[in-house]
Amino acid sequence: MKMIQTICLLAACSFATGAAGAETISAEAIQAKAKTCAACHGEDGNASASPMYPRLAGQYHDYLARALHEYKSGERKNAIMAGFATTLSEAEIQGLADYFGHLPGKLDDLSHHH
Amino acid sequence: MSKALFAGLLPLAALFHFSAATAADAAKGDPNAGRTLVYTCSGCHGVAGYENAYPHYHVPRIAGQNYDYLVAALTEYKKGERSHPTMRAQGESLSDKDISDIAAYLSSLTP
Repeated sequence: MKMIQTICLLAACSFATGAAGAETISAEAIQAKAKTCAACHGEDGNASASPMYPRLAGQYHDYLARALHEYKSGERKNAIMAGFATTLSEAEIQGLADYFGHLPGKLDDLSHHH
Repeated sequence: MSKALFAGLLPLAALFHFSAATAADAAKGDPNAGRTLVYTCSGCHGVAGYENAYPHYHVPRIAGQNYDYLVAALTEYKKGERSHPTMRAQGESLSDKDISDIAAYLSSLTP
C-alpha cells in the first residue's frame, strides 16, 4: 500500500512538473524566432527562391514539430537544422510548427491529384 | 584562411553553385513517369488527415513540395540516412531516376 502511495505521489509530481514545463510563449516571440527560419524557408514559409529547402507553409503542424524533434535528438541529421533545433524549447517547437503550418502555401496531400 | 583568400574564393563558390544548379535543372526528372510511380505514395500521402501509426503525427503533405528537397529526402531514405521504416523500404526500391521522376511530378503539382 505504501508503495502504491509512493508511486501515485511520484506520478502526481511528474504530472505537476509536466504542467509547469508547458511554458506559454507569445505570438510575437514566435514570429521573432521565425525570422531565423525565413533565411532559408522564405519569409512566407514557401521556400520559393531556394528549392533545396522544403516549403513549410501549410504543412501539417504536427509533422513540422516531429521533424524539429528529430533534428533536436539527432535522429534526423542535418548540420544546419541541428544547430537551430537544439536551441529550441518544447514551447518554441510547438509555436513554430503551428506558425508555419498555418501560413498559406502550395502544399497539399495527394488526394486531389489522382 | 586570410580574408583576401576567402574573398577570392567567394566568386568561385558562386560560380560552382550556379553551374551545379544549372546541371540539376537539366537533369530534372520526367513528371509523366513520376505520376505513375506516385500511385504507391497515395496509400499514405493521398489520404487527407492520415496519421503515422506510432508515434502519432500526420504524414506530410508532399504535393507541391520543392524538387531538390524531395530528391534529397528520398535519397536519404534510400541510403538509410533517414530512419522512417516504411519510407526507407520505399526509398530502397527506387532508382535515382525514379526519385527524380517522382520529385518532378510532385513539385509540379499546384493546389
